[in-house]
Amino acid sequence: MYNVAEISEEACVANKGCRLCIMYCPEANCILMNDEKKVAFVVESRCKGCELCVVVCDAAKHKAIAMVNR
Amino acid sequence: MGREKIQINEEFWDIMPDDYKDLVNHSTYGKTDRGWKDVGSSTELIAEHSLCAGCPESIAFRHIMASMPAPEDTVMVGSTGCTSLVFPMVAVHNIHSLFGNQNAVATGLKRALNVRFPNKNKDVIVLAGDGATVDIGLDMTLQSWFRGERFTTICFDNELYANTGGQESGLMQKGFVAKMAPVGKKFEKVRLPEIARESGCAYVAVLTTSKPSLVERVVRQAVLIAREIGPTYLQIYTPCILEIGKQSMEGLQEMRDAEAAGERFKFREFITPEAQAFIDDMAAKKKAEKLASAAN
Repeated sequence: MYNVAEISEEACVANKGCRLCIMYCPEANCILMNDEKKVAFVVESRCKGCELCVVVCDAAKHKAIAMVNR
Repeated sequence: MGREKIQINEEFWDIMPDDYKDLVNHSTYGKTDRGWKDVGSSTELIAEHSLCAGCPESIAFRHIMASMPAPEDTVMVGSTGCTSLVFPMVAVHNIHSLFGNQNAVATGLKRALNVRFPNKNKDVIVLAGDGATVDIGLDMTLQSWFRGERFTTICFDNELYANTGGQESGLMQKGFVAKMAPVGKKFEKVRLPEIARESGCAYVAVLTTSKPSLVERVVRQAVLIAREIGPTYLQIYTPCILEIGKQSMEGLQEMRDAEAAGERFKFREFITPEAQAFIDDMAAKKKAEKLASAAN
């Protein structure tokens, strides 16, 4: 069982230019943009579960990311 | 190196790893206006590394790799420590030197590149931890600045020897108690930025990696000034969350605390008048180009 981040497509505000989780994720190519839907998504095989994206997303009051067990 | 150099032969496309194919298709090689804004929509020049979850050093690595002005013409020199775990996963030429020798190796490298490619800009970037830069390799670091060697030295300052369990380093703050330094440090943090300024560096900056736009500006400036004018030095706070007893998600807050007003990593930079004139000149040229392209 792994602890990984999951981004809610409804709550994500990447279409307004937000890139907080992408900027502060310590893993490279882990949180990427879905250019068609204009939302961020997590590549689960690269996520180490550090929760930094949750911290920055919650601090900006978007609350779009939650940790889930896989 | 450049985009054309990393192309894959057509018959090999089906057997190349996905990471490499991504690099060919979506990386930012050969772009003059690359920066952290490309992150997320293009493939980064750093792949799955083995640093701990939430390590601020890996955030710094991502920001630096995204901000380098010409990665295809850059050679990085690393040293022993957590950074040497990342260098095998980096899509830029790099050399692993003996512990502390990084600035001496970079000196020879830069001179050889100048001889081999006299008409090309080849950047050399030294990236090492505080132990390699300040304790073990201080001699090499300072001597390269005295000689005015034209490359950038970046120090990842985590204020202790984190890779080996938390021994005291010269850049540790006074009084700090680490796992393998139980008495607490007895003397002040070495003022390397000031030493760098006095030793002949054209540009010196102290920062944390909590603002990608700042890291981008500083890294770009440092590399371009090193190309034309003289040595540059960046000291970036990348706390080791394990050794200072923090959780994986607390690294960012730790950096923000350390760069608050009056704290030891409050952003500061020293720039020589010559380097400042060069930067102003470059900004003016860019502005003129923008105006010209807008007029067309």
